[in-house]
Amino acid sequence: MSQAALPDGTRFVLPDNASRRAELRGALRELYQRWGYDLVELPSLERYDPAHPRASQSFKLADRDSSVLSLRADFTPALAHLVRAAHPAVAGGARRPLRYQYAGTVWHAINPELARTREFTQVGIELIGVSNARADAELIHLARESVRTVGLDPRVEVGNPGFVRAAFEAAEVPLALRDAVADAIDRKDRSDLSRLLEPLELSRESTDGLLSIPDLYGGAEVLERARADLPWPRTARELERLEGVLAEFEDASELMLDLSMARRLSYYTGVTFRAYTPDFGQPLLGGGRYDGALLPAAAGFSLGLERLLRAVARRRSATEPDPLVLALDDGAARRLRKAGVRVLRSLERDAEAARLEARELGVPFLLVGGRIEPLDPHGGDARNVQPLQALLDGAPEASA
Amino acid sequence: MSAPAADAGKLVLALPKGRVMQASLQALRGGGLHLTAHGPGRALRHDAGDAIVIEMRNGDVPTYVELGVADAGIVGKDVLMEQNSQLAEPVDLGFAACRLSLIRPIGAAGTIERVATKYPRLTAAYLGRVGSGAEVVTLTGNVELACITGLSDAVVDVVQTGDTLRDNGLEEVDVIAHSSARFVVNRASLKLRSPVLRPLIEALRRLPGAR
Repeated sequence: MSQAALPDGTRFVLPDNASRRAELRGALRELYQRWGYDLVELPSLERYDPAHPRASQSFKLADRDSSVLSLRADFTPALAHLVRAAHPAVAGGARRPLRYQYAGTVWHAINPELARTREFTQVGIELIGVSNARADAELIHLARESVRTVGLDPRVEVGNPGFVRAAFEAAEVPLALRDAVADAIDRKDRSDLSRLLEPLELSRESTDGLLSIPDLYGGAEVLERARADLPWPRTARELERLEGVLAEFEDASELMLDLSMARRLSYYTGVTFRAYTPDFGQPLLGGGRYDGALLPAAAGFSLGLERLLRAVARRRSATEPDPLVLALDDGAARRLRKAGVRVLRSLERDAEAARLEARELGVPFLLVGGRIEPLDPHGGDARNVQPLQALLDGAPEASA
Repeated sequence: MSAPAADAGKLVLALPKGRVMQASLQALRGGGLHLTAHGPGRALRHDAGDAIVIEMRNGDVPTYVELGVADAGIVGKDVLMEQNSQLAEPVDLGFAACRLSLIRPIGAAGTIERVATKYPRLTAAYLGRVGSGAEVVTLTGNVELACITGLSDAVVDVVQTGDTLRDNGLEEVDVIAHSSARFVVNRASLKLRSPVLRPLIEALRRLPGAR
């Protein structure tokens, strides 16, 4: 058998990790289910579409008829496809809320630089068919709950790329320069920003307004500062949109605002948000509203399971492994499993060989002839024999 | 990955080794941080009072800050542009100013076939912009040597005064970008530690030469 290296940016997930991943996925699936988000499955193979938001990052494959397919790089286009097929009225603009959740592998054909893999698992939800402040607030709330559900302390920052777009319109920033200016704003790089704006000879008010955007982050007071620094009707409308969303929260002080969030300006049309947790330097999830990009009204978020797991692992000390029993006695083993104990079936014929087998596997207990036997009678494991034995003796006789 | 408990709450700063270190410490002190001088020995991570300072190569600073091991750091804009880092860059500190330039032997003419550089990404982007089909060779050491020895017929590198170039019979033929030291901040830390970082950013912007 060959021992060729794995393709760049892919990896094995070993048992410990795999079960923790399944746990996280399960906890999130349940959360979204309780909020009425129905699970859907989507194909991993898609028709290659150069207009796909992640077209340049997708792996391409040739189909039998030599048409080009791509591996799923993002769930949202496939989900939009599903909505167009299953709910053409909603795809045509009818107002009706559809709530979906998804989880699965996505592939990015990138240079696997800086802690990024090329094959990873995304979990996310989409709220389609309604575009208003209550829908936005529901997603922001669930972003926060997602972080809380996995046992972390959530911090959610909310922005509105529409604000930056409105500022560009009001200040008449030339179209050709908008990407570069948005990038400088998003990096909060006032030095670059002023260098870009200088040759444009905008009005003093416009230049000062744009220069103030990188610092418009913080609590609710940011909205007041934004009104003072950018006194234009267009930008004021975008601030009102954001205020409408904040008004949906009993305590909006838990949210952080950042009006300089200006990534993917042409994609996101309404609020965008990211969730963090203290002492973990990377966002855990991100999303926003993208009305008109794929569907008339759609918003959602996704999180990377690998990163979430890293954040969770930092907080949790190594968990005590479940007691594990190696059994020669199939009937008693069934009773123990029913009681929730992990029981391996011995592949040997007699107790002596099974003892050796258990030592080799690192299993602390042997079940033979209805009795639990610790493999190291002087070790700490001996103390746990009683509870296991009690479980075995107290459990009703398995019928199967 | 997590810091020892005694350090909890302290800002972690990633600073480059070498010449820029002293200027960086001076700037941060000017920004109001009380930072002690580096202790005896060669500890790579030390408690400097108001912050934990970790010392590293220039090119590693963006990685430490982007992944959140450090909350903030100081690094040249040339490095940030080359690595295309996802960081907040709220202050241009002004020092360590230099140009990233295309350099050729004095008087050289004709098409460029091969360019040696420590900045392959910026170089490839520049060559694409000017429509050159030259190949890019990535080196890690002194790239001027590539030009002098004929490994390449041009180099892309940072230039401060240009004296070294002239001494070696080389000249700048085009300026690709301007660089200076930047105060960079992890995007999560900027939000989660803003009570500390915001006043620091404000104070750093007020330093002479900064913006």
